[in-house]
Parts: sequence; C-alpha cells; structure tokens
Amino acid sequence: MRNELSFALYSIKKNFQNSAELRTSFLMNIVGMALNNVAFIVIWACFVKAVGIVNGWTVADIYGLMGFSALSFGVFHTLLGGIHLIPDAVAKGSFDRFMLSPKNLIVRIATSAMSVSAIGDFVFGVICLWLYLAMIHGGLLQLVFVISGAIIATVVMSTFWLFISSLSFLFSDPKVVVDGIESFFMAPTLFHGGAFQGWLRVFFTFIIPSLLVGALPVEAVKSVSLWQLGLLLLLALFWFLISIWAFYKGVRRYESANLTTFGS
Amino acid sequence: MRELRLGCKIVSTLLKNSLQYPGRLLLDIVAMLSWCGVCLLLYRYVFTLNGGTIKGTTFDVVAWSMFLYFAFSTLRLRSLTKTITQDVISGNVEMLFNKPVSYLVYRFWWQIGEGMLSFLVIAPISVLVMVALLGVPTTMANWFFLATLPIAMLGSALLSLMFYGIFGVIAFWMTDPAPIQWIADKFVMVLAGSYLPVAFFPKIMYVLARFSPFGGTLILSQMPYTTWKTDAWMLLSVQYLWILILGTVLVVMFRIAKQRVSINGG
Repeated sequence: MRNELSFALYSIKKNFQNSAELRTSFLMNIVGMALNNVAFIVIWACFVKAVGIVNGWTVADIYGLMGFSALSFGVFHTLLGGIHLIPDAVAKGSFDRFMLSPKNLIVRIATSAMSVSAIGDFVFGVICLWLYLAMIHGGLLQLVFVISGAIIATVVMSTFWLFISSLSFLFSDPKVVVDGIESFFMAPTLFHGGAFQGWLRVFFTFIIPSLLVGALPVEAVKSVSLWQLGLLLLLALFWFLISIWAFYKGVRRYESANLTTFGS
Repeated sequence: MRELRLGCKIVSTLLKNSLQYPGRLLLDIVAMLSWCGVCLLLYRYVFTLNGGTIKGTTFDVVAWSMFLYFAFSTLRLRSLTKTITQDVISGNVEMLFNKPVSYLVYRFWWQIGEGMLSFLVIAPISVLVMVALLGVPTTMANWFFLATLPIAMLGSALLSLMFYGIFGVIAFWMTDPAPIQWIADKFVMVLAGSYLPVAFFPKIMYVLARFSPFGGTLILSQMPYTTWKTDAWMLLSVQYLWILILGTVLVVMFRIAKQRVSINGG
C-alpha cells in the first residue's frame, strides 16, 4: 500500500514537472481555464436574477455548485487524468503496457497522465467554495461540510469516470459509448441544482450520479444535515466499490494487441 | 466557380465518410439530448413554477430559441479553431500550403463537411420532435420568419467561420492558443443564448448579444422572439457588417501568418 502510494506521488510529480516545462503555456492554461469557468457563474447568476429563487437556490448556491463541480473535476483530471485515456488505450491495444507493469493496475493507469488546464478548474473551484462560505457566512461546521462535500464529489467524479471507462472493454468502438455517457454525466453537474426535481432528480442521483458532484453537496452544506452528508458518503462508497469491481471484471475481457510500447 | 465545385466535392466526400462512422452521429445525438434536452426540461419546470411566463416570455419561445442554438451547433463550425491549430502544431499546414487551393477556403469547406451529416439528421428530426411536443410559437409561424431564416443561417455560418478562423490563425503566433480560444468560445456560448435565453439577459448583455460578433455568430437564437419582426433587418445588417470586418481581419492575419511559416521540407 505504501509502495503504491509513493509510486503514485512520484508519477504525479513527474507529470507536473513534464507539463511545467513549457512555463508560459502551463500558466496560460491554468489562468485561461479558471477564467473560462466564470461563464457558468455569469449564466446562472443572471438566471437567478431573472427567474428568482428556485427551491431555495440563491446566487451563493451557484458559487457552491460551481465550486464543488470544478474542484472535483480539477482534482480528478490533475491527479488521476490517466483514467480518461482508458477507452483509447483499449481501442488501440496500448493497454498492454499498463498490464505488464508490476504496479497496481488502477494506480498505474490513473497516474499516467494529467491535464494542465484541470489545475485551473481546481483553482477556480477553491475560489468559488471560499466565496460560497463567505456569502453564506459559514462557520467552522460549514467549513467541515464543504471539505467533506468536496471529498465526496471528487470520489464520485473519479469513480464514475472509472466505471464508464470500464465499459470500454465491452464495445468495439468504446470512445463513442464512453463519451456519450460522459456527456450525460457532465451536463447536469453544471446546471442550476434547484431546478432538478421529481424523476429528473432521482435519475441524476441514483442512475447517473451527476447531482452527487455539485447540487447535493451544496444542499447538504445549506441544511447542515449529517443525514444528507451520510447518504452522499454511502453513495460515494457504492460508486467506489462498483467502479473497481467493474474495472477488474472488464480487464478480464481485454484482448491483447501485443502492442507493448514504451514511455508513460 | 472552380472553388465552389471543390467545396461541393469536399462536402460530399466527407458526407460519405461520415456515413461509414455512425458512432459519431450517435454521439452528437446523445450530446444534443444531454445538453439541450436536460436544459429544456429544467426550464419547463422553472416556467411551470412561475405560472408559465417569465419576463413576459413563454416557455415555447425560450425553448425554440435555445433549441435553434443547439441545432445549429451540430454543424460543429467552432471546431475550425482546433483544426487550424492542429494543422499548425503538426506541421500539416506546410503540405496544405502546397496545394493549388486556398488553405482557408479548403478548411472552411472541410469544416462544413465534417458536421454536415449530424446537422442534416439531427436538425430536421429534432425540429419535428419540438413541433410535436411544444408546437410552433406564433412568432415563428409566419412567412417573415421563414424568409429570414436562410439569410440568418447563412450569416451565422459565415460569421462563425470568420470568427473561429481568426482564433485558429492565432496558432501561427502562439505555442498554445487554447486558453484564448476557450474564453472566446465561452463569450459566444453566453451571448448567443445557449443556457440562458436572450430574454433573460441584463441590459448590458442584451446590447452585447445584439451588436457584438459573439451574439451575431448565432443570431438564430434571437429569431423566435417578438422583437425579431421589427429588428430583423437591423440585426442582419449588423451581422453581415461583422462578416465583412472579421473577414478582412482574417485575410490580413492569414497573409502575415503565411510569411511567418518556415518550410522544413523532408
């Protein structure tokens, strides 16, 4: 376990050093992505101004929503960005090189790549959550809820992505299937959470867990409800276990292309 | 005439090519359902909560406005920036410069051809679904709307090509122009009324949406509103003026960019 962790940290460090080599491009990607995300705040803030408060959701909650979504997306793509490459690796047969590694398979592939712009998402997420806490005049308890919510959102984001990437082993053109589900997953993480009611809320909580990434952590912080936070934790644990099970189940179906290649 | 023939050939070849990869079409359908479909479901709920009208606008008008944005987006003209950038980074641009056709014209037609199948399949089917589910608002059920639709569509396509072309050509000067391209793209997304209908815009944003090239690239989203009948010619004039301005900027930028290219051979 310790060996795996130190390998993961080493791999992530190397990814950072690699990306930071082109200093200007590295910084521009981070700043550019953070600014780019402001668009969603503008959209939903104008929405709240025009429509009014929908199911208790104010402008402050929009900051919370964007904070949780961006932070979880940022952490996932920065630290575990390699998961994103699974469909491509499976389709091209380059998955062999990960299987031949003596390290833990998930750790090996997850830490094999990173997205520089995702650091911008992370920075944006932290700023949004800090503003959110300031806007709701949050105390220590809310801070604990925000940190817990961010961890849960990150776990759900990473594990659901691992889960859909595991479907790559079942299809001959995995990119289309994975990208399609990814699209369904990502869209609601950026939409006004208060407008998800009825069957739409059930669908995007239990079938496709988009609301676990943004809207539901915001509502848990607002109500300071341990019950809600506990439920989110349970669902995150469910996705964690199911994604690891699905991944190893899928790997058994993988047919080698004898394309071992070198490098990361 | 020769360029038009070349364009038709590129588009028809890419159409045939797209038919061989139905997965891409499927992906575009899913994207349309997830981004536009979910968004419209949310707005329907919000309008129901507010008694059917918000800021004097009904749900069907807002839904058609946002739908037109997403339907036109299936043409994927915004990918032109990425295509030109990739050509520059990969060095493919050198090879294309040697062809006896203008690089920009070639890439314009290529981009149109790339998204044509998705547009031709998704747009008509989703229009039928929208008509069946929501009907047609009175503002759209008239000859004036139908007559101005092709003019606005052509203008939107041309302005999109000029706009995204400029941000693609930037790649000749910068190692990684992606961050600038993201921000420009988000300006279009916000001001063209994708997730927030134009009717909900605050005053400054409304003015920007009408008179800036960001809103002009997808002027279609302004057509279902009652103001279209009175403002159509003014908005179309502004749109075509932007096509002229951005077209000139693109040509000048491309000429300068061409001088910067050093052919490595090989």
